[in-house]
Amino acid sequence: MNTDRIKKIIYLFIIVFIILEARIFYLQVIKGNYYRKISEKNHIRIMITNPPRGKIYDRNGILLAYDEPLFQIYTYPYLIKKRFESIKKDLERILQIDIPEKVEKKIKNGYANKVIIQKKLTQIQVKKFIDNWQFFEGIFLEVQPRRVYTEYARYMPHLLGYVGFPSEKELKENPDLTADTLIGKSGVEKIFDKYLRGDYGAKAVMVDAKGRIVKTLWEKQPKRGSDIYLTVDARVQKIIYDAFKESGQKSGAVIIVDPKTYDIISLLSFPIYDIQKFSDGLSKKEWKNLLKNKYKPLFNKALHGIYPPGSIFKITVALAALQEGVIAPYQKIYSGPQFQIGKWVYRNWDPKGCGKIDVIQALEMSCDTYFYQVGLDLGSEKISFYAKLFGLGEKLNPEIEQKKGRIPDPQWKIAKIGEPWYLGDTVNYSIGQGFLAITPFDSTKILVPVLNGGYVLKPKLLKAYFDMEKRRFVKVETQQIRKIYIKRFFYNVIKKGLYQVVYGERGTAKLLSLAPVKNGGKTGTAQVFRHKKRKEKIEKWYLQNHAWFVDFVPYKKPRYVISVFVEHGIGGSKTAVPITKSILEKMYSEGILNESR
Amino acid sequence: MKAGRLFFGYDFYIVFPVSFLIFWSILNIYSATIHEYKNLYLKQALYGTIGLGILLIFPRINYRKIVNLSPFLYIIGILSLVAVIFAGTTILGAKRWISLGLFTIQPSEFMKFVLILITAYILGSGKEKVDGKKALTAGLIAGIPFFLTMKQPDLGTAITLLIPVVVMLFVGGLNKKIIYGTVLTGILSSPFIWDHLKDYQKKRIIAFINPEADPFKSAYHILQSKIAVGSGQITGKGFLQGTQSKLFFLPEQHTDFIFATIGEEWGFIFSSFILILYLIIGLRIFYWGIKVKDPEGKYICFGAGSLILTQAFINIAMTIGLAPVVGITLPFLSYGGSSMVTFSLIIGIVLSIIRIHKLEKLHFS
Repeated sequence: MNTDRIKKIIYLFIIVFIILEARIFYLQVIKGNYYRKISEKNHIRIMITNPPRGKIYDRNGILLAYDEPLFQIYTYPYLIKKRFESIKKDLERILQIDIPEKVEKKIKNGYANKVIIQKKLTQIQVKKFIDNWQFFEGIFLEVQPRRVYTEYARYMPHLLGYVGFPSEKELKENPDLTADTLIGKSGVEKIFDKYLRGDYGAKAVMVDAKGRIVKTLWEKQPKRGSDIYLTVDARVQKIIYDAFKESGQKSGAVIIVDPKTYDIISLLSFPIYDIQKFSDGLSKKEWKNLLKNKYKPLFNKALHGIYPPGSIFKITVALAALQEGVIAPYQKIYSGPQFQIGKWVYRNWDPKGCGKIDVIQALEMSCDTYFYQVGLDLGSEKISFYAKLFGLGEKLNPEIEQKKGRIPDPQWKIAKIGEPWYLGDTVNYSIGQGFLAITPFDSTKILVPVLNGGYVLKPKLLKAYFDMEKRRFVKVETQQIRKIYIKRFFYNVIKKGLYQVVYGERGTAKLLSLAPVKNGGKTGTAQVFRHKKRKEKIEKWYLQNHAWFVDFVPYKKPRYVISVFVEHGIGGSKTAVPITKSILEKMYSEGILNESR
Repeated sequence: MKAGRLFFGYDFYIVFPVSFLIFWSILNIYSATIHEYKNLYLKQALYGTIGLGILLIFPRINYRKIVNLSPFLYIIGILSLVAVIFAGTTILGAKRWISLGLFTIQPSEFMKFVLILITAYILGSGKEKVDGKKALTAGLIAGIPFFLTMKQPDLGTAITLLIPVVVMLFVGGLNKKIIYGTVLTGILSSPFIWDHLKDYQKKRIIAFINPEADPFKSAYHILQSKIAVGSGQITGKGFLQGTQSKLFFLPEQHTDFIFATIGEEWGFIFSSFILILYLIIGLRIFYWGIKVKDPEGKYICFGAGSLILTQAFINIAMTIGLAPVVGITLPFLSYGGSSMVTFSLIIGIVLSIIRIHKLEKLHFS
């Protein structure tokens, strides 16, 4: 072993010791007075400022959400502990603020952690606080933004979502957040949080005993959030809300999109809740009531609910059959009142049957027995293939869609139910029943490619955002996901069939022929419970069938796809069609919709 | 005479300073935490008692038995380090702890003890001179826990794991060329290591080199800590009278930044005293390292002495703004059971070496 080297090591440690000793001497003896002064007379404090969140506008510039500055006062307990009683009196005398017991306890037991004394000061209180600052040493005033939703925003609580303070977990995961940063918790507020939030500012300042800033040590400027323009038309949103409400139906969803761009023009889940109250914070009782409500106001049915689509799915089956050559456009097939496989009988919804009809007529009367035969010829796999091609059961925009529809196939059934796929399953499948289930938003996917020439597009909710660096608005372009190669002629055949649904003699939505603008569409009635007795069905809301209607308007150059879903709405023609009619009329009378454009 | 036998072989130049530090630790943790937590000082008192218990019992065990067990201990240590990666508890953004229900342990702390033992075991056996083969084995043995700890991420502990091994190799007479070669490789690979550091580690290092670069968090701690120490002046503000270290955002004031509290409340005289205590402990262990005959004992002494001195000095240096904040404890003073037990074990085995040495000397004379 090397004694020489041990000595070297020892010398090294002694040298380090001397350096440390010298440093302590320097800090404590030479500069001690200076540091003592800083620690006694001045305090260093980090001040964090949260900038306002970006504003949210609709596509035409109607303001939906903005931040309002709220003033609040806070303290650090150690600063006022000793003269707490006198400060308490002054707060009461000058500002009429009664310190709640909870806060009093916090101040008495706390030390260096910030305690908020009172939120939401009035302007008069703020002025008095500033004028009488000498009474309030150790108490500080700060701005805390509050999210305000405008009148128009009240109709779209599910769409806009809400904001709140980050959870412990979110704070840990994202270093760009502070405990006082408002962040989007759901909906648009969450999806576009990266634009809306901005960046907090931080300042390290030296303050004297009275809380005055003596010196700013470091500073990071806050960056305010970007404003965004949604694709949503607030007027249309109000219209669909009114139409749904006036219909007397209790629960459902309405979605309107532009088939050319897949702009989401409006999206309603009914019933709604008070977005402002929700954002400001609900009482326990209000919470309970919302959760107990059997129509589930907190649940966004348009995007998160999945339901069997019923006959609106016949559009997809018809297109698939045309493209696959299972049927020819004008080929007539006899479709009677019922259809039989072995001992199993499948009935048409209309006991009269349909007669010898082509695909246009089949759509017009929503003929079940026609689609049973076509569906069996196609096979379940082909049906699933086309459904998926159109984007059903797929999150075309994962930011917006959080729930996938269910597109069944034999493998799925074996895995989930443990039974093989029967021909009867295909029969049910071909009229949109059985294991198939989609979100109301999915129902727009059935029509969008039909109307825009086969383009599967990415649904869009953001029209434009303000780019803070370039200091200008940036428009968001529609993205194409894929093109479906189906003959244009077939699309037109389908469109003709959907026209007949409204204007044909045996159309299931003839009521809509009274609408002010030419349109087409498809009804859907989806069975919920098959084996319940008819009588019981009539009595209980939750046993009723779901009602659907998907509409496009104007017929010549479609600008809107309107999808109406009424949960347990008995029948498409009965409830979904009248709501659609009401929507069309209102849009027309407000000048949003007309024939010529 | 009975007491004399009981404490035979105890080196009071080591035992007294260590006991004092443990006592001092409880007192200062009380001061640093009582306004926030009611019972941390009691926990520390428990850890301190365990530590003193180790100091009392350990010297009566023959250290050679423990050294012979070291490969086994090493495997357990590595396994628990791996367990941290998969099942560890995350505290302050780093996975260093394993939760054992009632309490959490930090395996990388115990690894310090084990690594000194196994290095002594490797270097002390066979030929006396440290050759390339021995050095390579020791390097590998140290390298595995080093990287596992780096991964946690815990830069400070990783460095303190490595330094005793380096000192032991150096004192063992490792060829100069190999030493220079390794140092050169280290320098050349530092950009690579830099890439593998976590963001907060980079921030701390940048904050140390250039405080203006990231003023917000890291440099702020350094400044606050400097103010705390400086404001203690010559005699300190007095027990429980410190404001700086309590009030202002020294998040680890009872663990890694305990020296700030001591500096603020007890002043220059006492801070120097604490520094001197560490120097005495360290040099005394080196002294015995030179004196004892058994190579394994010698190596353990050099490893232990350099570990205690390095860790204490780096910790104090970061508290007074001379080193980046790397997250290592101040031996015996910082709050925490893992650190307390580890350093007690290290002192305990040194005491065992001294005792055996004295016993053997007694027999020969």
